[in-house]
Amino acid sequence: MLRILVTRLGWMVLTFWVVYTLTFMLMHAVPGGPFDSERRVSEEIKRNLEAKYNLDKPWIEQYLLMLEGIVLRGDFGPSIRLSDYSVNEVIAQGFPVSAALGIFAMVFALSLGLSAGVLSAMFRGSLLDLSFRVLATLGIAVPNFVLASVAVILFSFVLQWFPSAGWGSLKQIVLPALCLGAPFAGYIARLTRTGMLEVLGQDYIRTAYAKGLSTRQVVLKHALRGAMLPVVSYLGPATAAILTGSLVLEKIFALPGMGSHFVEAALQRDYPMAMGMVMVYTGLLFVMNTLVDISYGIIDPRVDME
Amino acid sequence: MSNRIRKSYPLFLLLMIVMGLGYAVNLGQLEPAEFTFNNGAEIKTVDPALATGAPEGRIINGLFEGLLRNLPSTDKAEANGTVPMRPATQGMAESYSVSEDGTVYTFHIRQNVLWSNGDPFTAHDMEWSWMRMLHPETASEYVYQLYYVKGADRYNKGELNTGDRVEIELANRANAQQLFPRGTIRRGVFSKIGYWNPDTKIITDTAPESGISWTKVFFVDVFPEKNGQVRWDATPRAMAYVMHNASKGNLPEMIEGRPVETCHHVLVDFKSSVGILAIDDQTFRVQLKSRTTYFPDLVAFYPLYPVHRPTIEKYGSPGWTKPGNLVCNGPFLLQFRRIRDRLRMIKNARYWNAKQVELNSIDALSVQSETTSLNMYVNGQIDWSTTVPNMVIPDLRKRDDFKSAPMLTTYFYRFNVNRKPLDQVRVRRALNMAIDKKKIVEQVTKAGNVPARSFVPPGIDNYNSARGDIFDVSKARQLLAEAGFPGGRNFPAIRILFNTSDMHKDIAQVIQQDWKEHLGVNVQLENYEWRTFLATLSQKDYEVARSGWIGDYPDPNTFLDMFVTDGANNQTNWSNARYDELIEQAKFEPDYQKRLGLLTEAEQILMDEQPIIPIYFYVSKNLVQPHILGFSSNVQDVHPLHILKIDNQQFSTRDQ
Repeated sequence: MLRILVTRLGWMVLTFWVVYTLTFMLMHAVPGGPFDSERRVSEEIKRNLEAKYNLDKPWIEQYLLMLEGIVLRGDFGPSIRLSDYSVNEVIAQGFPVSAALGIFAMVFALSLGLSAGVLSAMFRGSLLDLSFRVLATLGIAVPNFVLASVAVILFSFVLQWFPSAGWGSLKQIVLPALCLGAPFAGYIARLTRTGMLEVLGQDYIRTAYAKGLSTRQVVLKHALRGAMLPVVSYLGPATAAILTGSLVLEKIFALPGMGSHFVEAALQRDYPMAMGMVMVYTGLLFVMNTLVDISYGIIDPRVDME
Repeated sequence: MSNRIRKSYPLFLLLMIVMGLGYAVNLGQLEPAEFTFNNGAEIKTVDPALATGAPEGRIINGLFEGLLRNLPSTDKAEANGTVPMRPATQGMAESYSVSEDGTVYTFHIRQNVLWSNGDPFTAHDMEWSWMRMLHPETASEYVYQLYYVKGADRYNKGELNTGDRVEIELANRANAQQLFPRGTIRRGVFSKIGYWNPDTKIITDTAPESGISWTKVFFVDVFPEKNGQVRWDATPRAMAYVMHNASKGNLPEMIEGRPVETCHHVLVDFKSSVGILAIDDQTFRVQLKSRTTYFPDLVAFYPLYPVHRPTIEKYGSPGWTKPGNLVCNGPFLLQFRRIRDRLRMIKNARYWNAKQVELNSIDALSVQSETTSLNMYVNGQIDWSTTVPNMVIPDLRKRDDFKSAPMLTTYFYRFNVNRKPLDQVRVRRALNMAIDKKKIVEQVTKAGNVPARSFVPPGIDNYNSARGDIFDVSKARQLLAEAGFPGGRNFPAIRILFNTSDMHKDIAQVIQQDWKEHLGVNVQLENYEWRTFLATLSQKDYEVARSGWIGDYPDPNTFLDMFVTDGANNQTNWSNARYDELIEQAKFEPDYQKRLGLLTEAEQILMDEQPIIPIYFYVSKNLVQPHILGFSSNVQDVHPLHILKIDNQQFSTRDQ
């Protein structure tokens, strides 16, 4: 177990370096710079600006300077576009927002998806099963910005339960989390249903029933664990998708999360910020995937961690 | 894997969820502000010298105050719904006088005005703030607004001539990363620049060709100082200065018999060369290069607002802008900021005119989506939306709370006049005459925009805009035929470039269709992402490109001086000697009306030669809740927050 973690760590460092290098090259290869604007500044002023952010130095020097800051001080430097803040401060403020949104969306997706999947499998072919399956398909097929618009009209304008946008209270998280979680709830419901149907036909389930256990006990204690496996392996990519999938929703619901920073940094050629965002996402994805791999071993005794 | 870990796994998940919930519940503590508006975007900074853009302006106008204040000049709106804004002595200065030749402005600072920490506000704060803005290391983008001041551009650009009095900042800053407090300043007379070659140890007067490393050396005769005064009559000490970060190779201790010291900057001496001076605590004098009738407008424009020196010297930049650190002199204080969420301002009790300020707290949201902003307005979450989606404007125009008025902003197309056949005036004019601009404003933008016949928008007092060609298909065809392309035959392939946006695309399509239908000219449309678009434009790799321009101050010069030969914002390769001459003449013309006449003449040349096609003038698109009083439209779309009031009666009836 420990050895796996150490190897993983090694790979992570390597991944970080490759991602850093690629990002750096791509950033500087894209035409346009952070100081281009419709109102062009004179060459002297532009030189002053570039000197301030080390952009007047040769590429290789910029590459090393930035790398040095990140590795030695964990500092991505000042944001060019949000010039009152350092990139680290922006991440420190944006990350909890995205994380809270992601956790809520995930909880919603898991609880709804799992229960719908189990019920569907148990009452296979019934009207309940059919309606759950239709809902799941809808959840997957409808893009989240469409879902968001419908949700705003319904819950915010017609029913007036939730505010239409903004950040600052529990009420304001509900709509975006629902919209963000919906497609994942759909997938999880499908995966659970399939897994459940497969498991329910197995010998050990029959044995459990034969022992005289109630349906509830059989389903929750024995079947669900087996049925969960595909869901767990889906959680890694799902977490990644939830984190990156919130970009559009953050805009619609005006949430100050990482997604909007990411997009804006790229559009505004805010090099340090873009680098910071890419690195955070890289780290996040790596950690999530590792966690999923570990959980896999925990849930399924057949998986050997070595 | 032991069973215990396996069992605790769901608990771990549960813990994560509880933590998330806890965080979210914790959020719900925020009381709404008295007045909430959507600022449209997260601001770049609250530092006046570094900010550009309208959202920054709204905040800085709340936190800071300049010598003068732009305020509505009357109570009554003009025919087009605007109330003209004028720089009024409602700021830090209680009065000002202008010398007869129009070049010396003397501002008299109000007695007993305070910074938000209780420090008195003096003319020295102004002098230091403008010096900071001009300092090259501050890297202010709007610094050219101060270039009208004598010597200011030379200080900013670091230009030196032999015999100049200079100031040298030695490389002994307490914190090298921080511009202020500065290191020791030495003053002297500049003699020349030399180039030191560390390999051959030879110094030359001209820069060696590339490939050879060299270090720039400033030769200065330094004069001694006594009690903070430079003794320009004493015997100077011959010194050589090199930049602190430029020393390549080992520098010698002496160059040409001069001791070598490292420094941060060698700039013209601010005190004796730049026309900015605090005569005493209450008197601030500015010496301009030449008469600039709109200088009061610049003074009332937020980049020239003062900043608090001790705060900046203590925390550095950007540390001084943090809530808690920030010391300001405007009607409001900065309470907190949440990036891309909101910025909260509360009333500043120390503001000189605090009794006139009615709002106690203001939230500025940074919602980017226009639709979201509209939703929040309709829901009552915000009191003012600074923009709305174009497609709902036809409906909104019937409402009283939608305030739309002409703006000092022009939507136009640039021609690259170096590309054939756009080098021919006839072709450019034909292309302009073939565009039905009325159709564009009525069927595409639908916002009540005015089709443009000139480049300078209407709304500048006493200025008569030039008159360009109008929509005239037969004349356009004739001109194109004369140019050698009858019916569009043999017309080379050209492209219209625009930055990705539905509206720009729709407009480009109408123009594409007009040109095809009326002239038989085929053009391709190309859309680029914003920064790529800007880069392509500045490399002049285009034939026709979409553009827009917002006037900085209510004077035609803010539009017309862009098209002087090789102007940074010209970008069309167009050049006309007579035009350049008129713009230059207008700068020095003392008579206001005559000056405007010169500018009209220049604009007429621009319209006759047509390196650009003005398409329409923008209108502002503000939605303001009916219970907000004191909001008036103006051509700059600037709305001071401190004069807004809440009609409580109307507000409470709305809630019932």
